[in-house]
Amino acid sequence: MTNLAAPIIPITPIIPTTPSLPSAPTGQPLMTPPATLEPLPVAAFQAGNFKSDLKPIWCPGCGDFGVVTAITRALAAVGRPPHEIAFISGIGCSSRIPGYTTAYGFNTVHGRSLPIAQGIKLANPELLVLVAGGDGDGFSIGGGHVAHVIRRNIDLTYIVMDNQIYGLTKGQLSPTSPRGRKTVTSTFGSLEDPVNPLLYVLGYGASFVAQGSPADMPGLGRIIEQAIRFPGFAFVNVQSPCVTYGEAEQQLKAQKARIVSLESIGHDPADWASAAERAREQATKFYTGIFYRNPNPPPTYGQAVSQRQQSLQNQAVPRHDILNCFVPNH
Amino acid sequence: MSENLIIGIAGAGGDGVVSAGESLLTAAALEGYHGIMTKSFGSQIRGGEASCRLRLATRPVLTPNGPLDVAVALNWEDFKRFGWELPVEPATIMIYESNTGVAPDKLPLEGVTPAAVFSVPITEMAVKHAGTDKAKNIVVIGLLAGWFGIGCESMLEGIRKKFAKKGAEVAEGNARAFQAGLEFAQAHPLAMDRKLAVPQTGREAKLLTDGNDMCAAAAIFAGCSFFAGYPITPSTEIMQFLDREIWKYGGTLLQAEDEIASIGAVVGASFAGKKAMTATSGPGMSLMTEMFGLASIAELPLVCVDVQRGGPSTGMPTKAEQSDLFQAAFSAHGDALRPVLAPTSVGDMFGVTVEAFNLAEYYQTPVIVLSDQEISQRKETVEPIRTTTFKLVERRRPTEAELTDYARFKLTESGISPISHPGMPGGNYLAAGIEHNELGRPTASGELHTRMNEKRFRKFAPLQSRRDLFEMEGDADALIGLVSWGSVAGVAREALRLARAEGLRAKLLVPKLLYPVAEPVYQDFFASVKRGLFVEQSYQGQLYRLVRMFVEVPALVQPLAKSGSNPIRPAEVLERLREMAAALQHNHA
Repeated sequence: MTNLAAPIIPITPIIPTTPSLPSAPTGQPLMTPPATLEPLPVAAFQAGNFKSDLKPIWCPGCGDFGVVTAITRALAAVGRPPHEIAFISGIGCSSRIPGYTTAYGFNTVHGRSLPIAQGIKLANPELLVLVAGGDGDGFSIGGGHVAHVIRRNIDLTYIVMDNQIYGLTKGQLSPTSPRGRKTVTSTFGSLEDPVNPLLYVLGYGASFVAQGSPADMPGLGRIIEQAIRFPGFAFVNVQSPCVTYGEAEQQLKAQKARIVSLESIGHDPADWASAAERAREQATKFYTGIFYRNPNPPPTYGQAVSQRQQSLQNQAVPRHDILNCFVPNH
Repeated sequence: MSENLIIGIAGAGGDGVVSAGESLLTAAALEGYHGIMTKSFGSQIRGGEASCRLRLATRPVLTPNGPLDVAVALNWEDFKRFGWELPVEPATIMIYESNTGVAPDKLPLEGVTPAAVFSVPITEMAVKHAGTDKAKNIVVIGLLAGWFGIGCESMLEGIRKKFAKKGAEVAEGNARAFQAGLEFAQAHPLAMDRKLAVPQTGREAKLLTDGNDMCAAAAIFAGCSFFAGYPITPSTEIMQFLDREIWKYGGTLLQAEDEIASIGAVVGASFAGKKAMTATSGPGMSLMTEMFGLASIAELPLVCVDVQRGGPSTGMPTKAEQSDLFQAAFSAHGDALRPVLAPTSVGDMFGVTVEAFNLAEYYQTPVIVLSDQEISQRKETVEPIRTTTFKLVERRRPTEAELTDYARFKLTESGISPISHPGMPGGNYLAAGIEHNELGRPTASGELHTRMNEKRFRKFAPLQSRRDLFEMEGDADALIGLVSWGSVAGVAREALRLARAEGLRAKLLVPKLLYPVAEPVYQDFFASVKRGLFVEQSYQGQLYRLVRMFVEVPALVQPLAKSGSNPIRPAEVLERLREMAAALQHNHA
């Protein structure tokens, strides 16, 4: 019998750079990042600190490469060390993304990244929680969870990489595929209207809604950074083309030509109705930037939980006395 | 004098049948009696029919099942709906509401004449003395106090406690209604003495609660700080109790949008380093199964309580059944093993829940607690539990040295690897449902998949020798062996004791660890056994079939298995024990 304890693969550290990374100041509690767009005074991290050495499985030219770069840039700008970040995903090409960063990652099951991420954030509110996945993961199998994370206003950032196709299973119809789209499961063209992710989350009352593209990677990085800094649930839709199964007009080059920055047309992100109007044009226009940022964000779930815990903590009996409540004449 | 009193009461919802039972049980507990009360309802939300079965005794009670000493019918229609659960026997004293217009010699009972029959104007007495027919149940308590003993002071105390919130006027009316019932009983004495004897134990502080509340309290004791759940009968009271308590301990409770989200949030909280739990029933378990697989491969601790009810599907949601064992043992796809535990009583629920957390944290695995509708909702007196004697286990954290070169899924000899959590510097890793190497990196290597599967099974090997998770009672070398689990184990135990009191040699094995099947424990038990029974509440006899997958069970050991809502009674098991003893003697002769 072989020695069960012997590793059969050479062990190399996942994050060789970690020991030399600057860590959070010791002796101070980990605070949630301030809800301000001002960068931290000292650039403690570079994007490279957040990139793992794992080689992506994505096809050459895939839009997701740009997304991971944008995310690591945003994380560097926000300045939390990798071990204070939990990066959660579902299943799909794009859901491989946590493994390409140095954060604590969790590549979960199809469609359930949001429930798992909520459990993480509620269990440890001090963590920076990022969630990412594809359009199928977020708006088909996992679509039912989106409404609830929004109405709870749990402070996490949800990035959907929308490529309008199921790439990992090799080219089937997705919930954001346009009507008429021909795929291997819609041989004669799709008979369904696509989900509009922006209207979907706006409709459920999300306080931060944005869209970006890897065609404008620096811009996408800035959008993600703002989403992370936003106190509450933040949604970023990324038009991330599939080079293998995608249509020509989706590709980065074509996208670049179509991009209209919301800032450039004078859109006011505090105006929900205007945001909804712009979002309705999703099928024909490609706006990037912040659609909506609630100027008076409601309290986050975490804040409410913390208040409740503090107001009730005096009522706790020692855990080993918990059964006393069952004594009839207690 | 009697050592034992079994009472069945049935009426319409709103008649206060369950309140009456609870007041009686509280009073009995204050007097030092032992007792169990089960309640049973139609599946209507309000109204409909309601019943309770209450067993009071001078010694610890193992099961509420057994022939009724007294039956109370507030109306015949509803009483007869519980015919399966509250059968009237020749020794039963029948009390019924006289305004039903039924003559005492024309009772709508088929083929049985009760030992005594009392037609009592219960409603009339309630209205006359308390000013409302709502006090019907209090009149019933008075009647039962008069005929069967239990101190009046404690009875009144029990009533006061139950109705404390309703104000002084209600309390006084109740006291008068109670007195009226008591006087009626005194004016119409029983021909035979059926009064309860004085309890053998003193009046020390017993606990009085049900399995769901006990489970929730045990979770708090074990250090559970995160619960997510979705309401489902008969498990919901676990979430309700925790919602009142968990925040006080810095914990969080989430009522999720469905059971998938519930177990998802629990997986997340566990990944974040917290002890986490969910509770559900069969249909909810079905929705959770994909996530059990995820937690198994990502090696994350969690506890899932499945309060079993009649199935499949909605089945009989208010009735007990033990038919989720296969689901618990084999839920989720792929090769994986998840420990399954089952409590046998309300008191036992404490230790089993604590053990579930300990196993989950130690083995980094989901653990399923299989409760059932009876344990979850029956109220029971429990001997005081010294919580400080229970040890709590925490998950194996990486040492400083291990963090410098951290391998989350390190192939150790025990199969247990150090587990970090977000926030821990140097512990960063990728958890995944994807097969992985020791570092957590995705792999498609067949060799690695085999090694990791082996690791994930190997770590459970010590469970094979957890004899402390089994109870054995009776003659160790007996030729007759019973195996029983969950709430039904109490029935088997009572039957065994009755049989042994008759001089029969037999033994009983009660597994609290149902899965993995601890092969050596069963092999030892069956070594002497020629005949026997698996006593369980399911159509298939799921434990019988599960054990046979792993253990040679003697051919003449057979299931005594019944679908839910068909109570298995000690007398029935006793009869089978006698038959087996006779058959063995015949073969021998």
